[in-house]
Amino acid sequence: MDTVTLLSEAKARFNHNSAKVYLKEKYESKLIVAEQEGLWKADHSTLNFLYNAHHVQEEVVLMDTFNNPVKVNALELYKKLMQVYNDVMKEWHDEWQELKGKR
Amino acid sequence: MKRGVLLFAHNSPKYNYYKMAEATAKRINHFLDLPVTIITDTDSIPENTTYTFDNVIKVVPDKNNRRDWGVWINKGRYQAFEFSPYEETILLDTDYLVNSNKLNTLFKLDTDFCCHAKTSFFMHPDAAQEVLSVYSFETLWATVVKFQKTKRAQQIFECLKMVQNNFDHYANIHGFIAGTFRNDYALTLALRIVNGHTSTPVDFIPWNLMHAGKDVRIFSNNKNEYNTEYTILFDNWQKGKIRKDYIQIRDMDFHVMNKDNFLELIE
Repeated sequence: MDTVTLLSEAKARFNHNSAKVYLKEKYESKLIVAEQEGLWKADHSTLNFLYNAHHVQEEVVLMDTFNNPVKVNALELYKKLMQVYNDVMKEWHDEWQELKGKR
Repeated sequence: MKRGVLLFAHNSPKYNYYKMAEATAKRINHFLDLPVTIITDTDSIPENTTYTFDNVIKVVPDKNNRRDWGVWINKGRYQAFEFSPYEETILLDTDYLVNSNKLNTLFKLDTDFCCHAKTSFFMHPDAAQEVLSVYSFETLWATVVKFQKTKRAQQIFECLKMVQNNFDHYANIHGFIAGTFRNDYALTLALRIVNGHTSTPVDFIPWNLMHAGKDVRIFSNNKNEYNTEYTILFDNWQKGKIRKDYIQIRDMDFHVMNKDNFLELIE
């Protein structure tokens, strides 16, 4: 039995809350990046900090996700994290668009 | 640096772990492009098999462990350090369904040993983290472990052996039931002991381990050998009535707790 028939016969309903959690688990893990000898999450606060910092100085010391202070090139790390952020969020958005209409 | 994956597979009277290991190994080869070594026993190796592991290491299994469904041969995981032919090893449970190249990220982490400390369950958004007991620690998970051949990693596996050999004692101290040996519990204790009875976040994989619990049923969305799309069905009890809920997932690795369901998926 294919899954379409299975879902129809079972009268199953799509669980949007569980789908959101699945997407969050999947895509947040993809935002984690090992770069310049640290482990980073391409989140809003890190991106904001790096964007502002690179205008002031080339190198900054930043706490990575394991709370290790790491000296990084702010612009290089910003570019890398921004690229990861855009790629991952686009995928996340696309998959959510596919799922959100399901019933 | 030579990298690879290590699987333990000892058949029980109820489940064919070797068959699970073969299916998992094929997916590891396909998605991670890594060789796979299996640690097994003579009785578990089938007469006719088409899959060739990178290495087959035969050991004498310790059958002195039981679960609700019968004999469960899961002891001896500490031998991973000694038997792994790789400088960097991912030690994986055979019922872990690889659907992406995510695990290759583990090799980028700046640590010689890491495992999962946090989990998440499909269809249970608010599931609490498991603890050894209400008086003890949150459980670490032996489902996915990455280690290098360092002195510290060796100490962790030696400590794992020590905890296994004294499991009743640690159960008494930490207030859990010792009846069934669990590698997750032994790893939780061993890692803390080696780290001076402290918790060290650098040893934790920086994303959650996804479980498909025993109360969900997973279906492959197509018959491709390397299918990565699944439908997860769940009986959602509300006000005394069952409502069938489902989600659809793709390209995500997860641990299948229901062995019967895992065998269905790899057929």
